[in-house]
Amino acid sequence: MLLSQNQKDRMMNAWIYALLFIMMLSMLYPFYYVLILSFNKGTDSLLGGVYFWPRTFTFENYAQFLDDPHWYRAFLVTIVRTLAGAALGVLFTCLVAYGLSHRDLMFRRSYFTIIIFAMYFSGGLIPYYVVLRSVGLLNTFGVYVIPSMLSTFFLLIAISFFREIPGELKESAHMDGASELVIFYRIILPVSMPLIATMSLFMGVGQWNSWLDSAYFVQSEGLRTLAFRMMEVINKSNAPMDAIAVANSASAGVTSYSLQVAAMVVSIAPIVCVYPFLQRFFIQGIMLGSVKG
Amino acid sequence: MELNTRVTGITGKNVQQAQFWKRLKKQKTLHLFVGLGMIFLLIFAYTPMFGIIMAFKNYSISTGIKGIFTSEWVGLKHFDEFVNDYQFGTIVRNTLALSFLKVIFAFPAPILLAILLNEVKNMRFKRFVQTISYLPHFISWVVVVGIAFTFLSADIGMVNKALLGLGMIDKPLDILTNPQYFWGLAVGSAVWKEMGWWTIIFLAAIAGINPALYEAAQIDGAGRLARIRHITFPGMKGTIVVVLILTIGSILGGGLVGSNFEQAFLFGNSINNPTSEIVQTYAFKVGLRDGRFSYAAAIDLVQSVISVILIFSSNYIAKRTSGSSLF
Repeated sequence: MLLSQNQKDRMMNAWIYALLFIMMLSMLYPFYYVLILSFNKGTDSLLGGVYFWPRTFTFENYAQFLDDPHWYRAFLVTIVRTLAGAALGVLFTCLVAYGLSHRDLMFRRSYFTIIIFAMYFSGGLIPYYVVLRSVGLLNTFGVYVIPSMLSTFFLLIAISFFREIPGELKESAHMDGASELVIFYRIILPVSMPLIATMSLFMGVGQWNSWLDSAYFVQSEGLRTLAFRMMEVINKSNAPMDAIAVANSASAGVTSYSLQVAAMVVSIAPIVCVYPFLQRFFIQGIMLGSVKG
Repeated sequence: MELNTRVTGITGKNVQQAQFWKRLKKQKTLHLFVGLGMIFLLIFAYTPMFGIIMAFKNYSISTGIKGIFTSEWVGLKHFDEFVNDYQFGTIVRNTLALSFLKVIFAFPAPILLAILLNEVKNMRFKRFVQTISYLPHFISWVVVVGIAFTFLSADIGMVNKALLGLGMIDKPLDILTNPQYFWGLAVGSAVWKEMGWWTIIFLAAIAGINPALYEAAQIDGAGRLARIRHITFPGMKGTIVVVLILTIGSILGGGLVGSNFEQAFLFGNSINNPTSEIVQTYAFKVGLRDGRFSYAAAIDLVQSVISVILIFSSNYIAKRTSGSSLF
């Protein structure tokens, strides 16, 4: 049977929409599933069969989550490191980029060579660990925010962003006797909101999600992050035959499994809430970066 | 300013020097800003690079950073030991298999998605699908593994519960613990997590294609598949090559197609170890856990050298065959 061009087109459209719809569902449903599980009674979840709606609705998982000093503490550490890490990272990276964005800066080429080289080569984990130990950052909160204060990737993006700012803005401030620091703070930063939004999102998400540094560089229990705690629980329950232990640990219908699910929701929720609003910024940011690549 | 320096160039060295200092003084605040950044890089990027020499030494952590330079040389002893390690073959095989499987399966996924999205005329739907598709990129591997666990675990996983309930299997599939399934699990989760994110770049490449080409092709009677094949795909080729080179360069780390280390570390357990142990997890275990720093640094170095070789050779091949390249 011969199909007309129009019919063929419609068939193909149907295929495309169907494929995209399936893909979308496969990405959305896991998030939804975790969400409903977090509101379902832990001991009940273990029986299975909860697919679309909590069967025995409860807030117990979240209550337990906030009651457990371990989780609570990890939650706080994560919030603080996210705010501090993003703020420090954005400010410091922008400050260095502001200096480098001046086309008549002396030794510019040497500076850039140093940056590009650092971007492509690294010493690897072990020497890095030795350095952190030597500067006394191991086992401190500083290890979360200080080594990530300067991002070479965003440094280059910020430099090209600052170059687009009309020079007259700076010149007029110079005339009024403003120092470089004042110009940076009062003029450059306020007109760079798209850049700052993008950087804040990426650095913030990076900080929020990070668990490797907590696993590598920190031993103190009080400094563990949310992601690290989750990693611990997952590692534990990933081992076979542990479901029995999981079920045994149940108190008031909460299992370590349902607690973990609640922790997952807590860790996903801020990202899901923030990122749709910053989207249009970060697409610009990423494109700028890839063009410069 | 420019005229000044040119004139002083003629009038003599002293004046030139005076100019140099004057200019430097004027820029001193800017150099202070940049200098802080350079000090940062010196500490956190360059010192570790020099630290690589500990792979050739017998380094002991108690000697601190000085020890990197003062400890005794042992030449290639640690490399030799690594090559003769009884796990060497398995680890290298797993690292390579995981990396290449990801290039084969996870790399084309965003290209396909970008082409599909480009065919959607309803802008609202398109934007919605896009927004959803790169959400997983922002979620940490820990959570992704947690989600995988809620779906695939043999004891409480939804998939097993559902399949058992439907009578399609008689005993649960141990996807998370059977070595047989690990590579598929890693590749699958990498596709799920990173596919949407990389479509951003491919969609941008498609946006750069001249719309007149499509109109001309339509007039010539080209159907939709023909237009995809002869216009959309060739229009993306440059970008595809560049992203492919980047992917191959970071392939051992997993880079653009999902972190190998995080997957192997989080999905890995004592049972699927034969397929999930990779160079990086092994280096981590012998290095930071067992405290054999020099040995682990040597393993790390082997991996970095292979990565550099891969990126240069793939760049060279791409330049020779397609004309597009990274550098």
